[in-house]
Amino acid sequence: MSSIDYFQLLKLAGPEAVLALAALAVLAVDLIWMREAPIRQRQGAGAFVSILGCLGAGLCALQMPGFGSFANGMLVIDPLTLLLKGALLVLTVFTVLLSVDRDFTEHVGEFFALILLATVGMMLLVSSEDLLMIFVSLELTSLSLYILTAFQKRSALSAEAALKYFLFGGMAAAFLLFGLSLLYGLSGSTHLGGIAEGLVGKENDPLLIVALAMTVIGFGFKIAVVPFHLWAPDTYQGAPLASAAFVASGSKVASFFVLAKVMMLGFAGVHGDAGWRHLIAGWAPLLAVLALLSMLLGNLVAIVQGNVRRLLAYSAIAHSGYALLGVMSNSGEGMASLVYYTVTYGLTTLGAFGVVALVEERTGSASLSSFAGLGRRSPILGLSMMVFMLSLAGIPPLAGFFGKFYLFVGAIRTGSPNIGLVWLVVVAIAMSAVSLYYYLQVLKQIYVTEESAATVDVTGETNIVTCCAVGALAVLVVLLGCFPNLLVGPVLAATGSAGL
Amino acid sequence: MTTEYDPYLFLAVFLGIALVFPLAPLGLARLWAVLYSNNKPGPIKNATYECGLESKGDARVQFRSDYYLYGIVFLIFDVEALFLLPFAVAFTGLPMGAIVAMLVFLLLLVEGLVWAWKKGVLSWT
Amino acid sequence: MTSIGLGHYLVVSAALFCIGLFGVVTRRSLLVIYMSLELMLNAANLALVAMSRFNGNLDGQIMVFFTITVAAAEVSVGLAMIVALCRKRRSAHVEDLTTLKL
Repeated sequence: MSSIDYFQLLKLAGPEAVLALAALAVLAVDLIWMREAPIRQRQGAGAFVSILGCLGAGLCALQMPGFGSFANGMLVIDPLTLLLKGALLVLTVFTVLLSVDRDFTEHVGEFFALILLATVGMMLLVSSEDLLMIFVSLELTSLSLYILTAFQKRSALSAEAALKYFLFGGMAAAFLLFGLSLLYGLSGSTHLGGIAEGLVGKENDPLLIVALAMTVIGFGFKIAVVPFHLWAPDTYQGAPLASAAFVASGSKVASFFVLAKVMMLGFAGVHGDAGWRHLIAGWAPLLAVLALLSMLLGNLVAIVQGNVRRLLAYSAIAHSGYALLGVMSNSGEGMASLVYYTVTYGLTTLGAFGVVALVEERTGSASLSSFAGLGRRSPILGLSMMVFMLSLAGIPPLAGFFGKFYLFVGAIRTGSPNIGLVWLVVVAIAMSAVSLYYYLQVLKQIYVTEESAATVDVTGETNIVTCCAVGALAVLVVLLGCFPNLLVGPVLAATGSAGL
Repeated sequence: MTTEYDPYLFLAVFLGIALVFPLAPLGLARLWAVLYSNNKPGPIKNATYECGLESKGDARVQFRSDYYLYGIVFLIFDVEALFLLPFAVAFTGLPMGAIVAMLVFLLLLVEGLVWAWKKGVLSWT
Repeated sequence: MTSIGLGHYLVVSAALFCIGLFGVVTRRSLLVIYMSLELMLNAANLALVAMSRFNGNLDGQIMVFFTITVAAAEVSVGLAMIVALCRKRRSAHVEDLTTLKL
């Protein structure tokens, strides 16, 4: 038995430990000192402690003593995972800011603690190459997100959305666990590298096909690709806003990264090929089918949506389809483009949800018509929403354009013979053009349609914190679009040094 | 010398015994009823208890949904105790760090209990 | 003479998994659906233990320890959600989850 240096392990898992402590601190502060305080103050205190925790975790991640794989691959510290942890912390901070001054629950401390715990789960998820850790941290993330979805206890919609999310998520967990157990049985190892070694020579084992299919189904639920997407629109619509934004951003980043890792490292020997008229069985054609369906269905169904939250949900499904291209390209470049794409997508969606929050508070609904005249009522919000929508559609020079660009280039450059993945890229570009239609629908409401009586301000009070967060996100999206190297450079350097 | 036997044979015998054991008394009771007792139903004979208090209301009592909170809290603490068993089995061979790690785990459980207490989950209103 | 090998365990666990999946898909009561979900997870647990035995290392059994607790946490979260829904809707059936629709 190899002995473990626990102190060193604690240092390596420092960011996660700091965040977990921050979660406990939020609970304690809210329960002990802020019990009698008005809800606004409690939210302020909770958000303050949470953001402090995120900053502390970020500092901890900066001072990591060394890189490497520890405890049998359960904890992998390299520039790429640290970068992703940083990105997740940024997304968490913005989520926390979006939930301030928003009256949806009286259990304030628990809400922030759960956001932090979900982040801990995501951070462990991105830095693990072991089946056990992957499963446990995925469940930590998912369970926290289920509860966050159900948090608006006064609304029956929230409970219903959470139940649907939970039922689909529970199924996904069962499928994933069964797939992973078969994988372990075939290879005799729970470490992704060991699995790839153990699978050599068993490429045609029927059990391996079952294991692969079940793993893909399990992750497919988590990243909401067609046909495992049914929970997404309901969850996005019924959940409290900050929760929906977090489900759409942070969990996507972490799930995609771990899916790419499991596929590229664990199933390294059974890549197959999804090239045009050159299909070879493996995980690439499987993902190609999912990507194709997601891009088609997500974009086409989004067109008929009348509720902006549901529109964002279907657009998220379509974006999952694009992002799968990065996984399929099965190279360091593909991984880098995937990271860039999911992170910028997360930032953009958070911002869009922020605008939806403000509109919802003013008009009481998130329907398309309640956005009418937003550009005149508050020019900054209108402009921010335009940035987010155009970035999601992939218009240069915004972050979304470069995300898609890198993804498509990475997919085209894969080593398949004939024209390779180009057929899928063509579909993706065509569907991006379709998606422009419904994003412009939102912008048309904001800038062209006249304000009606139903959309005049009900409260008149503006949520300053959310406004600032939305503004900051819009600036970030423009900045990352104009200077993509700010993020692409570090990501490429990190994937290079990670040896992918 | 070990006897070679079919592992399924064991199961088959077991199944047979498991079937005979409850069915035999039931069958005998039925036989007795057919042969020796005659059917004379009456209000007293059909009562739930032939002696004692009259039963009132529905037998299926619904618990208050508050009870679920206790159930959930109990479930979590009960199952977390699962980790204590391997810890106890391996206790003598463990380094100091492992024991500290386990204590941290227990402290987290205590933290959960304190939270539930403070939150007022444990008080029955 | 036949001996019980890995295949037998895998068949049983696959059967349990399918029964669970069938229950999740066809049943109407949320509580029964939860039980079916648990059955699916336990099917995976059985597979893990059997594989662990036949692979000759303990990794699978350690994983089972964690999945059991994860399953318990999952059930308690789910039960809490059912209670929350019951208070709002006075129902614990899937047919009533229809407010959110296209």
